[in-house]
Amino acid sequence: MDVLNSKQQISSYIINSQEEEIKRIALELHEGVGQNLYSILTGLQFIEASEKEPEMKNYVREMSQLIEKTIQEIRLLSVELHPPTLTTLGLLPAMKSYIKLYTSTFGILVDLESSGKEKWISEKNRITVFRVCQEALANIAKYADTSNAKINFIWSESELIISIDDFGKGFQPDETDFNHPSSGLAAMKERMLLTGGQCHISSKIGEGTSIVLSLPLVSRE
Amino acid sequence: MKEIKEMRAVTLMCDQLMEKVGCEFVALAMQNEVGPDVRWHYASGNLNDKYKRISVRFGKGIAGKIISSGSPMMMTDFPKGVIGKVTDHPIMLAEKLVSTYAVPLFFNAIPKGVLLIGNRKTTTFSEEDQQRVRETGQALEQILKAQIL
Repeated sequence: MDVLNSKQQISSYIINSQEEEIKRIALELHEGVGQNLYSILTGLQFIEASEKEPEMKNYVREMSQLIEKTIQEIRLLSVELHPPTLTTLGLLPAMKSYIKLYTSTFGILVDLESSGKEKWISEKNRITVFRVCQEALANIAKYADTSNAKINFIWSESELIISIDDFGKGFQPDETDFNHPSSGLAAMKERMLLTGGQCHISSKIGEGTSIVLSLPLVSRE
Repeated sequence: MKEIKEMRAVTLMCDQLMEKVGCEFVALAMQNEVGPDVRWHYASGNLNDKYKRISVRFGKGIAGKIISSGSPMMMTDFPKGVIGKVTDHPIMLAEKLVSTYAVPLFFNAIPKGVLLIGNRKTTTFSEEDQQRVRETGQALEQILKAQIL
């Protein structure tokens, strides 16, 4: 039992360290690199406005457009790495924002519903649940062969239940080793266990896959 | 800008390319009139309508890399040998493509579009097929020039 606890503590430490590093890189991209590029863009737009020679004006405009594309990509990359809304507004707004990015990336429509009153979740657990949902959505894009998915948040006094359903081709659970350390599904389960919650995966060929996450909720005090 | 899917000359050219090469999928991505967004405006041989919602990310996936580098690109056995993540290639996942060849479309000497052909099996596109794609790309540039400039 002690060995298991020690292993879990090590896993938890590694995951937390990774998340801290990801957050730092995301912030640096957004606040550092992104802001500098924005200053360059403003400068280029100023030069473009004052330039009289049409050829040079056109050249500067193209440069501005390239910088604009780079700023957009830096912003998307930063949000993808660590959405700022996860820290400022919470899990649900962060998921809503991520789903918009997901649909415009993979073309898959996601219907998100939430019932019950949204409760406070510690930042560590917020990140964990968000990462598990991201992994589930990435798996849908990779394997499910579907254009639609549905996410339900059900808030109660003591726990948050999240169900993620796709209506894709599904798989044979017996043939998939959930517990293999390199499997994404095993990592989802492991991450949820570290929060004190659970992750249940079920699938049927031709009917899609369903993932149910449960997270115990504790009061802020 | 007129909707590309409504431009008969463009759609005909894409369909003819698909027939000549004998591939399963042809698609055309173009930068939007306003802003830096690049979207798939037309596809033939598609399995679903996901391509309509996909926004090409600058420098990501085959189309994004072509727009950022301005060079043609071929993938013969996706996802084998892919640098980066499989999810960086949304059009391959959405259409279950295994092989593609794609060329940039230049407007004002800047790459602003992508013409892509693909198969759902391993393929190495011959030099002749690549030449056909390049020629169709150049012809499309001429038709679309008036819309872009």
